[in-house]
Amino acid sequence: MKTIMLVDDSATVLLSISGILSKAGFQVVTANSAEDGQKKLAAGTKPDLLITDLNMPGMNGIEFIKVVRQRAELRFMPILFLTTESQQSKRAEAKAAGASGWIVKPATADTLLNTIKLVLR
Amino acid sequence: MDELKQVFLQESGEQLDALESLLLELEAHPDDETTLNGIFRAAHTIKGAAGMVEAVAVESFAHVVENVLDRLRNHEIAVTTELAALMLACTDHLRVLVASEAGTAQMGAAEIDAQTASLLARLRAFGPGGQVPQAPKTEEPGVQRIPSLQTGHNCWHISVRFGPEVLRQGMDPENFLRFLETVGNIRHVETLADRMPAVAEMDPELCYLGFEIALESAADKQTIEDVFAFVRDECQLSILPPNSKVNDYVELIESLPEDTLRLGEILVRIGALTADELSEGLRTQAMDDGEAPAAERHDKPIGEILVAQQVVQPEVVAAAVAKQTQVSEKKAQDAKLIRVPADKLDHLINLVGELVIAGAATSLLAHKRSDGELIESSSLLTRLVEEIRDASLQLRTVQIGETFNRFHRLVRDACKDLGKDVELVISGGETELDKSIVEKIGDPLMHLVRNSLDHGIEAPAVREAAGKNQRGTLLLNAYHDAGNIVIEVADDGAGLNRDKILAKAIERGLVDPDTHLSDREIYDLIFAPGLSTADQVTNLSGRGVGMDVVRRNLQALRGTINVSSQAGQGTRLTLRLPLTLAIIDGFLVVSANRSYVIPLDAVVECVERPEAEHERNYFNLRGQVLPSVCLRESFSLAGKRPARESVVVVQYAGQRAGIVVDRLAGELQAVIKPLGAIFRHLQGIGGSTILGSGEVALILDIPALIKISGQAEQRLLARPEQRSA
Repeated sequence: MKTIMLVDDSATVLLSISGILSKAGFQVVTANSAEDGQKKLAAGTKPDLLITDLNMPGMNGIEFIKVVRQRAELRFMPILFLTTESQQSKRAEAKAAGASGWIVKPATADTLLNTIKLVLR
Repeated sequence: MDELKQVFLQESGEQLDALESLLLELEAHPDDETTLNGIFRAAHTIKGAAGMVEAVAVESFAHVVENVLDRLRNHEIAVTTELAALMLACTDHLRVLVASEAGTAQMGAAEIDAQTASLLARLRAFGPGGQVPQAPKTEEPGVQRIPSLQTGHNCWHISVRFGPEVLRQGMDPENFLRFLETVGNIRHVETLADRMPAVAEMDPELCYLGFEIALESAADKQTIEDVFAFVRDECQLSILPPNSKVNDYVELIESLPEDTLRLGEILVRIGALTADELSEGLRTQAMDDGEAPAAERHDKPIGEILVAQQVVQPEVVAAAVAKQTQVSEKKAQDAKLIRVPADKLDHLINLVGELVIAGAATSLLAHKRSDGELIESSSLLTRLVEEIRDASLQLRTVQIGETFNRFHRLVRDACKDLGKDVELVISGGETELDKSIVEKIGDPLMHLVRNSLDHGIEAPAVREAAGKNQRGTLLLNAYHDAGNIVIEVADDGAGLNRDKILAKAIERGLVDPDTHLSDREIYDLIFAPGLSTADQVTNLSGRGVGMDVVRRNLQALRGTINVSSQAGQGTRLTLRLPLTLAIIDGFLVVSANRSYVIPLDAVVECVERPEAEHERNYFNLRGQVLPSVCLRESFSLAGKRPARESVVVVQYAGQRAGIVVDRLAGELQAVIKPLGAIFRHLQGIGGSTILGSGEVALILDIPALIKISGQAEQRLLARPEQRSA
């Protein structure tokens, strides 16, 4: 079973996306902040895919992606970030930080799973 | 359709029938070599024949089927129920593909393509190593870059060179290939390692690979490009649509509204190009310019750049350029025209009419005074007025071609609805006539065209059975004939059914069962109200309210309609209309001191009436019988007939008659003033005009008078019979 780590400060987003993912047969690890995510990764969680929000209190998503990419075991892990139509300019920045792709919020279950299918090995 | 294609359609039909029955037999006897060989042969024949007529879709599909059958024949795979079912499905699909070649497919092109793709995917499971052999090579323009990549006719050609950082961004190039499978079937992949450096310099964390992919997919270009959205900025990507789509694109371009669009916009609008591809092309264009010194700078056309970047076929660009030229030419043409409100023109024509009358009055006066100089100057004036009249009347004329061309769409749509194949042939489109007439004949013409499509031209199968070309022909023709415009609507259909019309007319009580009618009279019955012989009323026609309305509309324009028909050969409807509704050249005659005008175009000659034949309504014109009508009698004019009467011989639509009048008064220009509504029922009078003297003259309705002359003679002939009875 593939593990997906989901990082977002919104409980609604965490709940709805993790619901879709578990239903699709993924094991989901959630974190409500970049710091929380970092802690869980340090504790030995090794996800096959990371999905993170960009705007979060504390460490923002782009910084978080940079930190994650520095972990040797996660250098080639696909990373998707959550974005909106109006945040197009952030995409290049996030990609430069090491993200693989993005998911535009709000996304349907189909779009979400299709995108995951594209990046997940 | 040419003969070769006909033969192909027939042959492939036979072979498909054979293939089907042999496959059913194979299910019962899976090991029968003869059956297997027969099946293989049938598929092979279809493929070969398809190649001869360049039916590429059939050929390439049959090729894949043949390969599987070949393995079956060589016992590399065994006959299973699944395989037999698949082969039957393929047979059905080949039928569809063949029908599509003939243009008679029930399915849309997209649906067919989707089915082709899905069947090919299923066939793949039975190919060598689960891999379908390639479709036969066809020379594909624009994909010469990688000669080893053989793309089928229906394949998208995707070239992708991943950016080196792609792995570090957590993406695996292989993922894209896998994901492409969700939008279509990858038929072939060529991996390019030409950017791979020497082992010592190679960084295993960088990606040096590129792929050439042949993808079979019914998806649009944007969907395919979206697969690469995450790496779009770092990789080089070009997606060339399948050659089979080129025609679709060209058709789409042609159907675009006539807006002024840039080339790129046209291509994006029809989906041949994505917005990203266009901006990349434009960037390249700007960059090329930047390198050239300012003085020598001239833009390389964006079309050339796009073709060079292999994102669009040259044919599609050519079609888009043609469309642009067409639009800009049309715009330029528009600029040369001045739009004038029709009522301004009507006012001008009216004034010219008054001018004609005033000119006639002046010239009359000049002749009365016998003043030579005045006569000379007034005759010059008269000539100029005539020229002004003709020139201003021409302002209102338009070519009939535009009206005709509107029917292309109607014919196309109706054919689709009715399952018929009809070619619309237009000739004489440059023939000019008055705009007010053009506006009014649109509806009657539409009705006649629909009638021909619906009842005239038979279904393809019926036509074929009758030994005719499957494709029917509908002809629209226009020409000028003696001051009239003649419009013909002719088809090569079944022709009018004489007996059916007669039976229906008797049933409706339109004619007496005992009367003997000529073919022509029977055909004329189609113009009677309430007569329709169509067995089924369709949404196009057949309700029997049409033809009488058509005739009435034409009569309101001083026109007539005639029908001629030959069973099994077709029907021809001939409409005759006056060129203009405003001013005519007339011939003035006098009866009982009243003036009448005969349209000059109708006048053949004038003769003196032989005295001996006063009693009868016909006379001998150089050995030929000419029916005649006497104005005095017809219009019940008072007074005695003069000793010497004149006959004006007139002609309309091939029929001649003599009009007996007291005196001939020469040519004149007549400005037509319509009669009021209460005079509409008058037979033989078409309008009125004002003479130079201020006197009102009635304009004779020649077609009606010719008809009256014939009837009068018949009545006269009928009389002695009654007496003897």
